[in-house]
Amino acid sequence: MDKYDVIVVGAGNGGLGAACKILNSGKSCLVCEKHNIPGGFATSFVRGRFEFEASLHEFNGIGTDEEPGSTRKVFEELGIADKIEWIQLKDAYHLISEKEGYDYVMPFGADAFAKESGKLHPDGEKYIKEFLALCKQIREAMGYLGETKGKPDPKVMMEKYPDYLACGSYSVKEGFEALGYPKEIVDNLNAYWCYLGADENNMTFLHYANMINSYITGGAAIPRHRSHEISLACEERIHELGGDIWFNTEVVKILTDEEGHVCGVRLKDGREIESRHVIANCSPHLVYGKLLDSEAVPERAIKLTNFRKLAGKGFTVFLGLSKSAEELGITDHNYFVYDSSDNVAQYESMKTLDNTGAQATVCLNNAYPDCSPEGTCIVYMTTLFTDDAWSEVTKENYFKTKNKVAARMIERFEKATGTNIHDHIEEIAIATPETYARYCGHPQGTIYGYESQYYDGLMNRIQMVEEDRFVPGLRIGGGYGERLLGYPSSFKSGVNEAGRTLRDMEKEGR
Amino acid sequence: MAFKKSDVPGEDIRLAMEMTAKRRKLIDETPATPLVYEYGVNRLAKALHPGFVKAVIADKTPSSADCVKISLKPAKGEEFPYFRAGQFVTLSCKAGDSFLSRPYSIISSPKEALAGKLEIMVQRKGIFSTFITDEAPVGTELWMGEPSGDFHHDSIRDRKHILAIAGGSGVTPFLSMMKAIREGSEDFRLTLIYGARTRAHIPFDPEGFKSEGVDTVIVLSDEEADGYRHGFITADLLKECIDDDTSVFMCGPDAMYRFVRGELQKLGFDQTLIRSERNSVGDREVDEIRVFKLIVHIRDAVYELDAPNNETLITALERAGIPAVVRCRNGSCGFCHSRVVSGEYFVDAVNDFRRSADKKFGYIHPCSTYAESDMEIDIPIMDL
Repeated sequence: MDKYDVIVVGAGNGGLGAACKILNSGKSCLVCEKHNIPGGFATSFVRGRFEFEASLHEFNGIGTDEEPGSTRKVFEELGIADKIEWIQLKDAYHLISEKEGYDYVMPFGADAFAKESGKLHPDGEKYIKEFLALCKQIREAMGYLGETKGKPDPKVMMEKYPDYLACGSYSVKEGFEALGYPKEIVDNLNAYWCYLGADENNMTFLHYANMINSYITGGAAIPRHRSHEISLACEERIHELGGDIWFNTEVVKILTDEEGHVCGVRLKDGREIESRHVIANCSPHLVYGKLLDSEAVPERAIKLTNFRKLAGKGFTVFLGLSKSAEELGITDHNYFVYDSSDNVAQYESMKTLDNTGAQATVCLNNAYPDCSPEGTCIVYMTTLFTDDAWSEVTKENYFKTKNKVAARMIERFEKATGTNIHDHIEEIAIATPETYARYCGHPQGTIYGYESQYYDGLMNRIQMVEEDRFVPGLRIGGGYGERLLGYPSSFKSGVNEAGRTLRDMEKEGR
Repeated sequence: MAFKKSDVPGEDIRLAMEMTAKRRKLIDETPATPLVYEYGVNRLAKALHPGFVKAVIADKTPSSADCVKISLKPAKGEEFPYFRAGQFVTLSCKAGDSFLSRPYSIISSPKEALAGKLEIMVQRKGIFSTFITDEAPVGTELWMGEPSGDFHHDSIRDRKHILAIAGGSGVTPFLSMMKAIREGSEDFRLTLIYGARTRAHIPFDPEGFKSEGVDTVIVLSDEEADGYRHGFITADLLKECIDDDTSVFMCGPDAMYRFVRGELQKLGFDQTLIRSERNSVGDREVDEIRVFKLIVHIRDAVYELDAPNNETLITALERAGIPAVVRCRNGSCGFCHSRVVSGEYFVDAVNDFRRSADKKFGYIHPCSTYAESDMEIDIPIMDL
């Protein structure tokens, strides 16, 4: 068949979610993926006797079997929930911030988190309870906005969600200033900043508050078979529903007809596949800059794309260690190791190759003890570069540069935790922005799509989602989408764009 | 509680209501300059990982009784990528009715590759190697997969001194490392112990690779000669070559790995400091050769072929002339990752480097998998 109802370009989280949604509605769908496996960043790789998770630190929105979270519900609707086995995480994080001398573990669960905050400040418990109450209203308001498809009754909004409206324009910094919490409490709540990668002046308060609330109250989980399990669960579902997924298949053009409507795609080998609808799971930079003919791209699409900021460029060191976590003294699953809790200064310092002042490190065995052979463990450390410093690296100094940065991160973790890991490295792999660019084609090797900005945050994007699309028949979903980056967000963005595509088709009477 | 930032009544909500208008205005004011979607990072990623490159056989030189040095140059308009000394390339081409691919370690240094020269060592054994050494004339064009593999020195993981142990054409990655040390693209010391039957079986000239930090010891098993050790690679010899900052790298036949590991164990050497390059997965011993039917999907194309139970699935695909993606041929790299639609199969645990989810959902690496019944599989297309 050389014709499909919908073609999905890219089998990342967003593309897989979109394809499952389309196929569940009975439409035909082809997924074209440039790489030889699905998932994009949601994958894993094997080195020697270790299988490394490529990107996932923790997945929120899963909840438990009894109390499913919002993402699990989406998985259930798509028919993939039963294909994935989840492992619940015990603690939220171990925060180490050198400048302030912070070194403590925070648990998941609203009550436990609030109680533990009482150790940071005499009124800590009260502040956290108050903060989570505000988050609850934000969450409910977002739910209401979703139900009313972005056309809420202003009266309901004013009566039921006044605080949501009041904090709607503010950054994280402005929001916490208004709440007037002491530094120890704000620093702790800011611990998750590296998961979104924008500093407190740019990160929008609504989005950030909603995310930490989701983590604290809903907890987080990991798939037993690494994130590759999610990707293969989706692939299996795609086949069950009669869809096609082609690997090593790069789309080089999204084709449009005389009216400017999408009419198909052209593959690298010149073959053309017909379709009136394309969901692109890649960057708008690529879609408007390369995949579409320039005549098909309106000026405003270029302006919007230029307006946006490419987010953090990824760097991860993967270590297979020949000693157990216990022997090495690595006690927790998830560490945030910061030079200081001033995330504006951190963000600034991460622009060059000379500093890796913030890292998020996972010891997988502390969540899933059998993830590697007995007497070994898996540790991976991720940081971001907040500017395009890796573009200056040459072929000849690339390998040395990546090892230099990796060695510094290992040393930093050892110093922060008082452990020795460098003597026990049996396997090492290092992913640089070049690696992320290689596998997923992202400009500058960004792993976070477009960075949250004061005027390009979650609510702004959701409200303007229809205004931000330009080519009939084309929608863009995934980590660059309206829900921003992250596993649940990019997945749901793809599902949402598929939902909108189905409505587009309905309007067309097809 | 009530969230309040501004003391001006209604100000907080007014600001929130103005967000979209402000964003719209900022977009209006952004210039419509052409979008940049490729940066230095993207260009370097492509330069390091170009995928398949067309290469031409430029020269052939016999280097020992059974090895030939093949010199490759990039086809017109192509360039060779930079790589890590110790890596291999996969060469592919049509030979008779088959479409064959084989991995070969690189002799050249990374900087030589940048200058457009890539030499590999080919031992005369098997259908493709013999095709390359004896049949394909100079000027033959081949597809070359990008340099791959993790058999290279790592400054974080490995010690500063590598004791390299090789037999046969297994010396190749170490020749590249010795050149890389000499040109300064790698920074470690290397002692090579090379085991051969006689001097006629040595496929390189040790004098040609000498430099500071590089030592070579040659052990002959079937001949006694001045300047050469006689016998085997024993614990006594290994002990002479190990200092307190040594990792061991081995490349050669599996029997050599077993023997040397045993000798190193006698010395109490830390096993986690030993790395050996994996060898190709070949035919397996079976009680009775049975030929199964294999249905293969590549995108929307379907092929039907025979798959004997003693050969890997990739061998069956190649014999049928299907251009099948394959890189390492030892089960580890995952390049040939394929979906099993139906059928029974066997993967030897020592060659099973699949991800755990692959096992759960029924995915295989055809280069290390044997059919145990009729099978239907879905393989990725060869994206040349």
